Amino acid sequence: MIFLFIALPLVVAGVLPLLGKVSKRVLPDALANAVLLFLLVESVLLGKQLAATGPFVQQLSWLGEPVNLRLALDGFSLLMLFAVSLVGLCVGIFSIDYMEHYGSKANYWALFLIMVAGMNGLVLSTDLFNVYLFLEVAAVASYALVAFGLEYDELEAAFKYLMLSVVSSAFILIAIAVIFGVTGSLSFPAVARGLQDLDTKYVVGFCSALFIMGFGLKAALMPFHAWLPDAHPSAPAPISAMLSGLLIKVSGVYALTRIFFNVFGMTPALSTVLMYLATLSMVAAAFLALGQKDIKRMLAYSSISQVGYIVLGLGLGTPLGIAGGLFHLINHALAKGLLFLNSGSIQQATGTRNLDEMGGLAKRMPVTAAANLVGSLAIVGVPPLNGFWSKLIIIIALVQAGHLGFAVVAVLASVLTLWYYLLIQRKAFFGKLDERWKDVKEAPFWMLASNVILALLCIGIGIFFSLTIKTWIRPAADALVQGVRLAFGTWGM
Amino acid sequence: MVLQILLLVGLVLFSVMAILVKDLLKAAISLAVASLLLGIIFFRMNAPYAGVFEISVVAGLITVLFMLTIALTKGGDSAESKVASFAFPAFFVVFIVIDALIMKKLIQKVPALPGPEEAGTFGQVLWNTRTLDLVGQIAVIFAGVFAVLALFRKGDKKDE
Repeated sequence: MIFLFIALPLVVAGVLPLLGKVSKRVLPDALANAVLLFLLVESVLLGKQLAATGPFVQQLSWLGEPVNLRLALDGFSLLMLFAVSLVGLCVGIFSIDYMEHYGSKANYWALFLIMVAGMNGLVLSTDLFNVYLFLEVAAVASYALVAFGLEYDELEAAFKYLMLSVVSSAFILIAIAVIFGVTGSLSFPAVARGLQDLDTKYVVGFCSALFIMGFGLKAALMPFHAWLPDAHPSAPAPISAMLSGLLIKVSGVYALTRIFFNVFGMTPALSTVLMYLATLSMVAAAFLALGQKDIKRMLAYSSISQVGYIVLGLGLGTPLGIAGGLFHLINHALAKGLLFLNSGSIQQATGTRNLDEMGGLAKRMPVTAAANLVGSLAIVGVPPLNGFWSKLIIIIALVQAGHLGFAVVAVLASVLTLWYYLLIQRKAFFGKLDERWKDVKEAPFWMLASNVILALLCIGIGIFFSLTIKTWIRPAADALVQGVRLAFGTWGM
Repeated sequence: MVLQILLLVGLVLFSVMAILVKDLLKAAISLAVASLLLGIIFFRMNAPYAGVFEISVVAGLITVLFMLTIALTKGGDSAESKVASFAFPAFFVVFIVIDALIMKKLIQKVPALPGPEEAGTFGQVLWNTRTLDLVGQIAVIFAGVFAVLALFRKGDKKDE
């Protein structure tokens, strides 16, 4: 019953504000996390089912009458559902303690669950307009969540985010309208068929450009990244983790790859454009991250840089490159989620995000410091952590495809990444403890718990990387490698 | 053609005015005029349903809500808020009556949606072929409502 991934969070979000009147904290905390846990278990069960049956489409009926609720599940969408539920649950656990001082928790959870429902809906739908609609669901919830603290810079960041998102939505909507005008349809299989039959090279080129601008803005690829370094640091830490870990990947990378691979069909020209944009993001954002003093801003630039790696692997388009990109997507979601949550722990303990003011915090916050080290090394790509394997796969794929230049740049960008993550580690955690921080305490239980879970996941996936690739990554990569055949075959006409 | 260009120019002009005008009331009215023009454009382009919704909901209902909000938040002067509490409900009722009459007339004239794949009455199209859109719409409305609730919550940030 994959419709539950959309319906359950929505229904619970609807009743939460009412329940919030009865119980201000405990009930909303418990209920929201129970929903996220349920979705996680469900996605694992679906993984087993998918391994047995292969990709399928579910058509729902309403009181015996068939309605057009067609949801499709394949390896790629399952991987995203799994990532959303897993990181969502860890962020949810963290929020129990962290969101305590913000107030209005029931409202926070309602928006959080709507964002999850929006992402799940986007991942499951097989229709261009549905994709747009669920993109907006997740986006509207995220604007409010970025501004949730109601301070000046949060409202400013949310406004900037809103304005640039509107521009990206406009690009996406124009492209969808053009496709509808040409093919007379919106569903993936019909559009794929229409574009093949009609010989519409220029239309596809025009719409691809619009989609790259629109989804590129959502994914914060380099020339379209301006909103992210403001929006992500200003949001409450759990929301930064959700945005950087999940939202930019689902509403940017997922939507872009799904449409390019399975509806338009990947062309060499598209592949080249994506690879150059990705390399630009990878390198330029890494340099920009080096100059930051605000820890969360540094992490935000790092997200842009790592999305570059993901798009580089996917844009390459070879089976190995796709697998590497998807693997890095998951690894980055976990590790960047962990690092943003850690930055929240630091901010709550010390009240500052400025790296120059910190120092020696490892003595007072040993668990947070250790988790931060794991997350940093995972993103940098140090063996045996998860990020090492995904970067390795991407680089091997680049070499195999004959793109030696890109491979060298990817390795060098990794060195830059190591540099700025060591900066964080050294300035915040190592060195002499500042007199000001002698009363700083370790983060509360639930915040620590979620940090430890994410850190263990980074280590565990690194050690059992072949198992992860076999169960989660390969089915997802297969779905993309099939290209438009997936649209004609599984999704049907 | 000339009429179409005039309508489009008017649409852009009033949209820009809605952003530039300082007075909120005038801005709301400019927006209403802009969406009225957009509704007419929809009608002329054979999209009557879009036209009906644009005129009734965006030009009508939302403008009423904007005016109501502006009147209620222009606090301080008690005389003004008294006028507001009378005038706007009255305006609202008048709007509903006019809207109901216009809608009934328009709906009768509106033909079924064309197109081979998605033929059928409006209700059928919406319910049978675009069902997931309805779910998405509900979700967007939820998101909007909770966003307003969250962002305009009272100054009880620490509700201990």
